Amino acid sequence: MYGFARRWAPWFGGCAAVAMFVALYGGLVLAPPDYQQKDAFRIVYVHAPVATFSMVIYTTMALAAAVGLIWRMKVAHAVAAASAPIGAWLTIATLGTGMLWGKPMWGAYWVWDPRLTSELVLLFLDFGYMGLRAAIEDPQKADKASAVLAIVGVVNIPIIRFSVDWWNSLHQPATTKLLGDPDMDGSMVWPLLLMLVAFALYYAAVMLVRLRAELLRRERNASWVREVLS
Amino acid sequence: MSPALEQFFAMSGYGTYVWSSFALALGIVLLNVWLAKRSLADAERDARRRLDMARESVP
Repeated sequence: MYGFARRWAPWFGGCAAVAMFVALYGGLVLAPPDYQQKDAFRIVYVHAPVATFSMVIYTTMALAAAVGLIWRMKVAHAVAAASAPIGAWLTIATLGTGMLWGKPMWGAYWVWDPRLTSELVLLFLDFGYMGLRAAIEDPQKADKASAVLAIVGVVNIPIIRFSVDWWNSLHQPATTKLLGDPDMDGSMVWPLLLMLVAFALYYAAVMLVRLRAELLRRERNASWVREVLS
Repeated sequence: MSPALEQFFAMSGYGTYVWSSFALALGIVLLNVWLAKRSLADAERDARRRLDMARESVP
């Protein structure tokens, strides 16, 4: 696993950088302005990907934590632990870029709207997960306790995802759909989809670097560590 | 600056919001990479220290 992470992280990172650059050009230069929001809609090219991955990363954490609990896999717990800070930072980016979009569109940086509030709860879940891990010294006990928190907290993910459909929200509905035509023109939508791919690669790259650190911290087998460090 | 470029940076009057949100996102993307690399460097340093201590304790 360690060798895999070391070999592949630079490739994922490199591809992510190229894809982000092309998607930025497509989103900022090639895509036409929106007829309602003018050029302010371009914030979607950073806001939607970081928001999507704040949720994808939390879901990955919960799944990895569940795998770790059920099959007693240390690597799965390490994946969850490696993902948490990345998810927390992307949640901060979601709230920040959202506020910068909310101000010109709604007239306020923050409103206690279901979508915004549930995303803020996600940030507290990320913090809670990291705080719990940091507070427990024994790694195995930290794995178990934080896994339970991650699994219970996953209930918040569908609340964020569907909050705009379930309640009367100020937040606009989803831009892209899993099935069927998106609500955007092709010239507007391809940079967004490419940016989502870029963030998937980016998450993989950063997570693999953090996973190596997690594996080194847990490993007490000296010969294995000596081998990978030489 | 050419008018076309000026128009691009103005973002139909929303320039402040558009550019600060892109700058914020880019900053966090880069910060994540830096923090991950620092975390790995710390873990490698600690692991090396553990190895050295284990070697010294062996007669």
